[in-house]
Amino acid sequence: MDNEVYTFALKNALNEIRNVCPDITNTFMFREDGEIIVGDENTPEKTMVHVVDAFDGIFEKADAIGGVECITIEGSNGKVNVSWLNDLYFVTVTSRKADMNHVNTVTRVLIPTVLRLLEKICPTPLKSKSPLTKTKQTKTKHQPKIPMVKELEKPELMEEPVEETVMEEPKETVEAETKHEQLLPEPPVNQFIVENIGGLLVPSDTVRIDTEILSQWEELYEGREIEEVEIGTFYGKTMRCKVKTIKDSKYEEKGIIQIPEKIQLALEIKKGELVRAKPIIE
Amino acid sequence: MVKKKRGFQEVAAAAEPVTVEENISLNNLRANLDEIKTYDGVIGYILRNSTSAAIELKDSTKLIDYAIISSSALDASEELSKLFDLGAVKDIIVEGKGVKVLSLIVGENRISIFLEKDTDCEKILKKLH
Repeated sequence: MDNEVYTFALKNALNEIRNVCPDITNTFMFREDGEIIVGDENTPEKTMVHVVDAFDGIFEKADAIGGVECITIEGSNGKVNVSWLNDLYFVTVTSRKADMNHVNTVTRVLIPTVLRLLEKICPTPLKSKSPLTKTKQTKTKHQPKIPMVKELEKPELMEEPVEETVMEEPKETVEAETKHEQLLPEPPVNQFIVENIGGLLVPSDTVRIDTEILSQWEELYEGREIEEVEIGTFYGKTMRCKVKTIKDSKYEEKGIIQIPEKIQLALEIKKGELVRAKPIIE
Repeated sequence: MVKKKRGFQEVAAAAEPVTVEENISLNNLRANLDEIKTYDGVIGYILRNSTSAAIELKDSTKLIDYAIISSSALDASEELSKLFDLGAVKDIIVEGKGVKVLSLIVGENRISIFLEKDTDCEKILKKLH
């Protein structure tokens, strides 16, 4: 019941904002984890889900910029603004002719006031009960998305980060050999930017990556030497090749993988593209 | 035989100026970005197109995260532009508590400039547009 009161009050507030500022075409709110709280009557839930989805990649890496406080997309016909207000993200879509000072004055005063008022009247956390509401915790926290090239989202490349699989206990019924394999952590998958490597003495079957990454992998596997990696492109191509550390200091600690031309051709990649690599443990 | 030769010459003549123009504009863009990099509050930039990428960041440990934010912001802008009929996207600004990311598309080039939070974007946008 409390949630219904919240939703009703907020929905009305959003509709009123649109009445006061007709240049606002859509407004809605969602939580940091992607759960949609409420939208105005003009914005279908499907649209809200689509918007939150579109911002997935940004929110996943938000820590790198200290958390997202505001996102503005300025187009020739209109503008989308996402602002962090009272622990919620508030989305407004406005037309080109909108007076942004007026819009901001209304939204940044009215919404916090309504939220504070609701908090006083009925101090429960905001939770939406709508079946269409999207809770993105599982998606955003456990599936690294590769936004550079969207077609990349193929099942074989969507391996979970090692931290989440290390603690899996082996089942008693499986064979001894399988048990041994399960005790090893899942290979971590790192992303790299492709860089060329050439020269007379450069082996064509060996890629080069940061010493630090190799050390981390070896540490993870209790000092085992990592001699091979599996390179995966975002188009689904994979290749197993030998690995060594980068020799050229200018490429160190830049997230770069040096790949010989022969392997680049085989994987249909080139300099500047992103690939994933994981160690092969046998 | 003559026909073949003429055909080849036509193709070469048509293709060459485009490539040269593209190179010039990319070089100009890189020169502008290198100048922008010297502005107060600019942390670095990522420039990508279909054939190459240039990355200049003071803190290279965040390279992958920044690359993903940059790419996600540009992808999101394209999707939202279609969804809400925003028209041609001029720029995208993602403001964090510590860092601000200004992304835009110039021709075929996808650019993201990483700035300290209080840095003004106007001067940069004027330089790039």
